[in-house]
Amino acid sequence: MEALGGIAKEAGAVTTLTHPCLCEEAGIKAVRDAAAEHSLDGVLIAACSERSKREAFRGFEGDDKGLYRVSLREQVAWSHPAGEEDTRMLAEDLLRMGVVRLQKTTPTRPLDEEVDGTVLVVGGGRAGMEAALAAADLGHPVVLVEAQARLGGHLAMLSSLVPVRAPYATPQPNDTDELVSKVLAAPDIRVLTSSKIARITGQPGQFHIELSNSECSSTCRVGAIVQATGARSYDPKRLGHLGYGVSPDVITADELEAMLVRGAVVRPSDARTPKRIVFIQCAGSRDPEHLPYCSSECCATTLRQVSGIHSANPEIETVVVYRDMRTPGQLERFYLAVQEQAGVLLTRGETERVEANGKLRVHLKDSLLGDAAVLEADLVVLATGMVPNSADGEAIRELIDARKRAETSESKTQREESCNRSEQLAHHEGTEILNLVYRQGPDMPALRYGFPDSHFICFPYETRRTGIYAAGAVHAPMSAAEAAEDGWGAAMKAVQCIEAARRHEAVHPRAGERAVPDFFLQRCTQCKRCTEECPFGTLDEDEKGTPELQPLRCRRCGICMGACPERIINFPDYSVDMVASMIKAIHVPEEYDEKPRILALLCENDALPALDAAAAQGRHWNPWVRVIPIRCLGSINIVWIAEALGRGIDGMILIGCKYGDDYQCHYVRGSELANTRVGNVGETLQRLVLEAERLKVVQLAHDEFERIPEVLDGFAKELEDLGASPLKGF
Amino acid sequence: MVSSAAVLSSPSFRDELLRRGGKSAGRCYQCATCSSVCELAPAEAPFPRRQMLWAQWGLTDRLVADPGVWLCHQCNDCNVRCPRDAQPGDVMQTLRALAVEHLAFPSFLGKLVGNVRFTWPLLVGVPVAFWFFLVALSKGFAIPDVDAELSFVEGRFHYDGFIPHELIYAVNLPVAAWVALAAWVSGRRFWTLLGGSGASRSGSFLAKLVPALVEVATHKRFSSCSAAGQRRWGHFGVMWGFVGAAVTSGLLVVYLYGFDMYPLPLTHWVKWLGNISAVLLVVGGGVLLANRLRGGRQAGSSTAFDSFFLGIVLAVIATGVLTEAGRFLFDPAIACVVYVMHLGVVLTLFLTFPYSKFAHLMYRTLAMVHRMMVAPNQEGRG
Repeated sequence: MEALGGIAKEAGAVTTLTHPCLCEEAGIKAVRDAAAEHSLDGVLIAACSERSKREAFRGFEGDDKGLYRVSLREQVAWSHPAGEEDTRMLAEDLLRMGVVRLQKTTPTRPLDEEVDGTVLVVGGGRAGMEAALAAADLGHPVVLVEAQARLGGHLAMLSSLVPVRAPYATPQPNDTDELVSKVLAAPDIRVLTSSKIARITGQPGQFHIELSNSECSSTCRVGAIVQATGARSYDPKRLGHLGYGVSPDVITADELEAMLVRGAVVRPSDARTPKRIVFIQCAGSRDPEHLPYCSSECCATTLRQVSGIHSANPEIETVVVYRDMRTPGQLERFYLAVQEQAGVLLTRGETERVEANGKLRVHLKDSLLGDAAVLEADLVVLATGMVPNSADGEAIRELIDARKRAETSESKTQREESCNRSEQLAHHEGTEILNLVYRQGPDMPALRYGFPDSHFICFPYETRRTGIYAAGAVHAPMSAAEAAEDGWGAAMKAVQCIEAARRHEAVHPRAGERAVPDFFLQRCTQCKRCTEECPFGTLDEDEKGTPELQPLRCRRCGICMGACPERIINFPDYSVDMVASMIKAIHVPEEYDEKPRILALLCENDALPALDAAAAQGRHWNPWVRVIPIRCLGSINIVWIAEALGRGIDGMILIGCKYGDDYQCHYVRGSELANTRVGNVGETLQRLVLEAERLKVVQLAHDEFERIPEVLDGFAKELEDLGASPLKGF
Repeated sequence: MVSSAAVLSSPSFRDELLRRGGKSAGRCYQCATCSSVCELAPAEAPFPRRQMLWAQWGLTDRLVADPGVWLCHQCNDCNVRCPRDAQPGDVMQTLRALAVEHLAFPSFLGKLVGNVRFTWPLLVGVPVAFWFFLVALSKGFAIPDVDAELSFVEGRFHYDGFIPHELIYAVNLPVAAWVALAAWVSGRRFWTLLGGSGASRSGSFLAKLVPALVEVATHKRFSSCSAAGQRRWGHFGVMWGFVGAAVTSGLLVVYLYGFDMYPLPLTHWVKWLGNISAVLLVVGGGVLLANRLRGGRQAGSSTAFDSFFLGIVLAVIATGVLTEAGRFLFDPAIACVVYVMHLGVVLTLFLTFPYSKFAHLMYRTLAMVHRMMVAPNQEGRG
């Protein structure tokens, strides 16, 4: 310990102290006393991982440079044998890096921004109304904008709702009208029907909204936005193989619902009561040709309709053909209650086609009967899925760019390519909902299947536009009850965002963070990499293409910092120079020492916790590895690679989150961007006469702690086979 | 398997299933827990999951041609384990009843017994009344006197003065011939349908009948049941009691006409055989009755079709035992009335054999032989 203190002093520490238990009151007091005595502006704690005991060390953040923590417990004591030279060298390097890190931290300048507490809710369906009520309950004024002339959305048109209370056996009355009355009566909710959003500018806490309806336009300022624009049913005209459009007696669940609301269910062709109604589930759902996903609600809706038909007229026989009956939670009881009624048959099978000449015949294949099966029907009901009422902001932006290029481009092939691209994207024209005046497009980026979600499991309600939250069926296909809950959740997030903006703090995932990136614009070359690659649309552009930071949109991932070829984007507490200096602080032994060095840059969200967990499990790994935790793999600037390998460090491994459709990156595409960028450094490596194998990118999930020592040891083995870096000693 | 496409039946079959007590079939969601827990289901054609689906669809043609319906012994392991309480064991029982009715010759008798819920007074009343009428007609209901000289073990009186043996044989032999004919026609229908259900048979019928009968005799399959294990011994007792009683009746004819020995003394070995059979019947019947009365999922639910057969069997046992006991203990008048009733319920049991649950004796044996001919190497399980 004393020796380590010496190393720290050598590296630039003013004073050092050792204490058996830093995180307890006496330890904290000792640290504070030492800081006061020496007028310190920063403190380095070399103890447990920065992920442990966060509460105990709270309060140091307010100091100029604050606190940095070196993980001696996880990265040294638990994971390496005591008393060995390699272990000692590792601890010394970690300490040197820590001191440098603090030295390179500059004070954070506070923002000065006015914040408005109003919540804008877009869409007056169940989710929107519940979000409005929830936000109003929390003391925030609400502006509720609805495109239709009335509130209520899709649910207002239903004869009943799926049961949400015990015994879950029969549908419950539709209570949408009561909810509408409640919203209309709420004093803090301003309801604007038949209205649309013309323009949104600004950032969380300071959104400026321009609204328009047929009569007038108005403006308002809001702090956060909930998009609850719902979903529409899949277009049945594309389901000709199921008889839609071929026979008038093939109808959709919506059309049946309209009949149930009016009263009697009849065949459209002859207005007579059908003897047998066949429901086809997954009509155009879970089908790569149509909607590839499950809308999760159609099964319950069908059960509700069957129940309604049966209670009105038990003589009508109903048959439900399903692929999988999906009735999550207590709806299992509803399923049973409907299924055991006489005259109701629920049977598994894939509907191949509906024959519609004369009598309707539903042809099934892959039924549990082990062969083909046929159902005669008087009326066929198609249970169609949900399509989100969203707009793909990125696609719209791309369309605009492609059109511009098609006109202005000098090369003929480029003009043609742009023309083709704009034709492909033409269907996005006029789909705008939020009309954001953002560099990256007028709406939120739609993720898979057009749902503007972020990460459904890890970060519910988050979208890729800070301060704008999706709720209800536009967020994911869901039931009325789920939409209500989703509305509350999104309202909570909106309120949380407003409160964070008031304190000038970041929202998820670096909640509480105050420092924002600083752009040294004199050296900006307007390459637009930062404005294009920011996953959250934080940066706008002026006419020349110079980035304009909207600080309250920023999530502090540092992806812009990693993108900038001029290295002019830096945070006060996280910069290109800081990490480069930390790399410089690593002591690289001469080649004849046979002590290779490996630099591991670990994502602080997934790889670092995995490493800590591996250490807690008593796993050991190669002592040549030096770990620097980073905010996101996307924040890795290429100069770090040159810096490390140029100093004779034998290899560099970047461990980040999984990317792709099922990405786990907290910043959506940081690890993917890092992978692309690293792919482009081949040339740099060649210039340094280095093998490409010395640089490796690995995807690792939070729970893969079993794997991480293997990954590190494996890389060390590969490097050993490759031999020492030829750049040692230069 | 049947190659043509399955067509959902009109609601009538499914209504019939509901009416007969197969209501719970509607609850099945085809998880196949039942087939997995069934100890008797053969691996290549497990039941009752598939039969539950056929029942839901009302695929009568498949159900009547299916050996699985009969290979089921209603252990009710499935009833106990079914996560949806769809009571597959009970549904299979209803399906057997419907199959019996469907295969019956002549079909109107099948319907008559099939609707036993309403027709049972007729089915019991007519044969009993017939015997009272016949006795009155032949000997004018002459109650025999108590012969004080006879020792206790010889009995206080004899029934042959009341009803001559010839009369009994004159009725029962033609009835037996008729029942055999009706059962033969129904059994043949079933055998043909089984053969047409896809799987090809090999080996001779008789060669496979022997192991099938051995299985029946030992009740080996029943021993696999875990939910209702005690039923094995009840069924075992009743079956062997009936066999013993039948053999006793045959031997009596031999002694009566071959050796002119009547009455046989109570100590005679044939009498011993008859009385041991009676004990088996009483104990076995009691176990079965107790199982029913105890209820619960493992017992299954009782339908009229099921209860009728059990009731007739119990009535035959009770009247038979009382008839014998009457010779030693009762007033001759009471004993004679019981005797006539015994002859009546025996006649009901005979006549309804091809149409009641009794027919399972034939259909199950045929199904077992069929299965052995289809899958000769898989006799171990199922």
